[in-house]
Amino acid sequence: MLETHLLSFVALSPAVAAILLGLVPGRKGQLVRWLSLLGSLAVFFLSILVWLGFDPDSGGMQMTEKISWIPQFGINYQLGIDGISLLLVLLTTFLVPIVILASWTSISDKVKGFHISLLLLSTGMLGAFLATDMFLFYVFWELMLIPMYFIIGVWGGPRKIYAAVKFFIFTMVGSIFMLIAILYTARQVFSATGSWTFDYSVWAIWAPKLVFAGFSSPQGLAFLAFALAFAIKVPMFPVHTWLPDAHVEAPTGGSIILAGVLLKLGTYGFLRFNRVLYPDAWDAARPVVMILAVIGILYGAWVAMVQPDMKKLVAYSSVSHLGFVMLGLAAGTIASTQGAILQMVNHGLSTGALFLLVGVVYERRHTRMIADYGGIATVVPIYTAFFLLATLSSIGLPGLNGFIGEFLILSGSWSVAPTAVIFAGLGIIFGAVYMLWMVQRVFWNPMVHDENKDLKDMNLREILTTIPLIVLIVWIGVFPSTFLSPMEAAVRLLLQH
Amino acid sequence: MLIPSTSDLLALLPEILLCFGGGLILLSASFSEGVRKYASELSLLVIVLAAWARVSGPLPGSCWRGMLSIDALTVFVDIFFLGALFLSAWIAGPYFRKLKIDRAEFYALLMLAGAGAMVMASSTDALSLFLGLELLSIPLYVLNAFLRETAISIEAGLKYFIVGAFASAFVVYGIALLYGATGSTSLIVIGDSIRHGHAISPLLALGVAAIVGGFGFKLALVPFHGWAPDVYQGGPTPVTAFLSVVPKGAVIVALLRIVDGMELLRVSQNWLLAAAIIAVASQTLGNLVALVQRDIKRMLAYSGIAHMGYAMVGVIVAGIDGSTGVLVYIGAYTLMNVGAFAIVAYFSNSEKEAHLISDYQGQGWKRPLPALALTICMFSLAGIPPFIGFIGKFMIFSSAVNAGLIWLAVIGVINSLISAFYYLRVVYTLYMKPEPKQEIAVDASLSITAAAALSALAVVILGIYPTPLMAAAKIAALSLLR
Repeated sequence: MLETHLLSFVALSPAVAAILLGLVPGRKGQLVRWLSLLGSLAVFFLSILVWLGFDPDSGGMQMTEKISWIPQFGINYQLGIDGISLLLVLLTTFLVPIVILASWTSISDKVKGFHISLLLLSTGMLGAFLATDMFLFYVFWELMLIPMYFIIGVWGGPRKIYAAVKFFIFTMVGSIFMLIAILYTARQVFSATGSWTFDYSVWAIWAPKLVFAGFSSPQGLAFLAFALAFAIKVPMFPVHTWLPDAHVEAPTGGSIILAGVLLKLGTYGFLRFNRVLYPDAWDAARPVVMILAVIGILYGAWVAMVQPDMKKLVAYSSVSHLGFVMLGLAAGTIASTQGAILQMVNHGLSTGALFLLVGVVYERRHTRMIADYGGIATVVPIYTAFFLLATLSSIGLPGLNGFIGEFLILSGSWSVAPTAVIFAGLGIIFGAVYMLWMVQRVFWNPMVHDENKDLKDMNLREILTTIPLIVLIVWIGVFPSTFLSPMEAAVRLLLQH
Repeated sequence: MLIPSTSDLLALLPEILLCFGGGLILLSASFSEGVRKYASELSLLVIVLAAWARVSGPLPGSCWRGMLSIDALTVFVDIFFLGALFLSAWIAGPYFRKLKIDRAEFYALLMLAGAGAMVMASSTDALSLFLGLELLSIPLYVLNAFLRETAISIEAGLKYFIVGAFASAFVVYGIALLYGATGSTSLIVIGDSIRHGHAISPLLALGVAAIVGGFGFKLALVPFHGWAPDVYQGGPTPVTAFLSVVPKGAVIVALLRIVDGMELLRVSQNWLLAAAIIAVASQTLGNLVALVQRDIKRMLAYSGIAHMGYAMVGVIVAGIDGSTGVLVYIGAYTLMNVGAFAIVAYFSNSEKEAHLISDYQGQGWKRPLPALALTICMFSLAGIPPFIGFIGKFMIFSSAVNAGLIWLAVIGVINSLISAFYYLRVVYTLYMKPEPKQEIAVDASLSITAAAALSALAVVILGIYPTPLMAAAKIAALSLLR
């Protein structure tokens, strides 16, 4: 059972854990936290089993499962994993326990609801990465919406309702048009094959045969509908405006999962669906995607530079970093695509770490304003060290993970779009500027606020929460091949489409 | 005089059970204290019996000399009608006990209305259709005014009566015109004469238009929707729950029998366009006006207008695809709407007539189970997976896409997006607004919660595993084709 349905176990056990958690009395907050942590660790363990059983030489879908679900429309419950989704699944299962630990004390109200939401969200994310049936993908995709809405809206900051509704509506704008595109493509596949199917592998053969003649042709419109859904999620300039609101209002754990995993579903969608299903439209759109990606890189960096709020700064840095990922995907060489995928993971780790660390001081001082800190390096040395490492990872210091990703993206894109690479390279410089400037103002400048004098350094739980992130940041920086080699065959296969 | 055959009587057993059961409760309640006290439970028993009779009874197809057709379609919709009837009667017990006006007449009238809906949905003749419509409507006029010491309830009853009388007059007039044009009241004969005949004669066109207009009133489609918000707001909530789904379902099924039988929309592009305009206008107006409602019952009234607009898309597409979609949609709509109204009934109390959404502040944490049920119904109404509302929309819109009416599907999903705003408002009021300092007095009723939880559970289960519902709807839709 476990062997044949391993992916189902990974995708669905968080939901089962959430339901079981529902039966625990809500006032036993500590018990809820432990159960939730154990559940998420079990899922992480299952995903490690997937990794161990994964065959890196094969580029296709592995460990596939298929159960007929809605036979009237040829819809199956169908899961599969390849090198690309493997990394993202691992990232997800890795981050969820960290989120739980990071929320250990900061979420003290309605603990049970938070953990149920988080676990349901995990199922949505893992399912979306693993689904190989378009309908199933859509269901998982939408399944993420409700728990995240609650996480922002219930446990968020002062403007939480505004941010939660904005998040919900933005995401829904994208997904409703994607639904129409899915229905339309299904219809076209039906005409071509004579039977209803939402099977991704069948669509990969037939959907590209949709007529493409400009973006008002069938393939163009279907492409745009998918692209809108994913661009909002990434988020690409100019549909990124929900992100700063969502991040600023979300609790620390929500921000980690949002930046760490949810955004990756957008870039993953571009790669997995837009590129493969609508290749002609993708080719035609690539220049625009690259331009928007570069705008995103520079715009995100510039806006980040002037943010007085640390969390908002990190949020805008996400816009910038995801711009790199989109650039790598749009350039479409093997190196740039591999770099982009690795950068998705990197961003999850480094931004996750940054949000986590911002949350650590926020919990102590209840402010995230850069101006409220200054000179705290001597007060909280351990914290400073971790923060610095995360910062250096984020700005792409050689030896850490960010460097590998950005290097692969830029070198891989050079042959395709040198101009874009030059501008993106500027983005790296700006990135270093805003991050280091923030670090300087928070940690090194003279201490002006007396409240910071007795700031407590990180406790054991916080250190233990951060260390896994730092270990991976260094690991990827030093031995990137551990993570690059499983995806290589999959990337090659995907790029052949 | 014609004496009905045994098989005819057997085919109509569920309706007969409801009418006689209702009548018996009504009569015996006047002298038996026990019946008065347990009228709610007794009516539930009768409804279950009727459902059993429908499910296990014979399916003769055409019966009563072609007036009725007891077929798979009848069974499909009757199950939902009886389900809605059951849940409405269920929540009515505690609701009226709360208001201290529990009376047996209520259940008798409710069951009569249910029987009317069932007759209407199985009619294949204009006259039986009209009989069903009246049997459905007249008890509802009374039921809406049932809170006879509350002004807005009386207003609701009166409004529903005046508008309903208009609608009935429209329908009768249309039937007369159809009879004049074709010489028959049989929907089958009329359908045949349209299909095999030639262009639609002005007389026939007027007749169909009058009937559709009358139906439009009952469905609260734009521009016949004006009554809905006041009637929803004023009527007793269990009645609103029933009113918001059963008459609409019955009328939609009647419409399906007419449209599919006559292939009206394939005869003329103008008809299609007119129907599409009504559908789009209902969705858009319903959703936009729902955005600014502060009373949840008024909001659900406008949302109901929009939902019938979505269902109309399926009616327009017609054929197997469209009809299956509509039937699934009716089933979905019944479950989620009754669930939502059950929770409205849960939160209603005797002192207040308004049902403000803001009264639900923070209740999500205070009363988890009712709030969760309401939340599930709201998300389902917004068409978000994995709930049944999504499956309904998926089927309707996919049928529109398949029929080449992509623009209708696009307008539909944009409307779903608009609707998300006001459904979300309920959810965030429940969970994200702080609980008010002054405790909200709610006569918490376990029984109502159970009814709502049952609907919500069905919304979830059928949303995750819709296959049986879809299969049954398809079989039902097949019986429309001749």
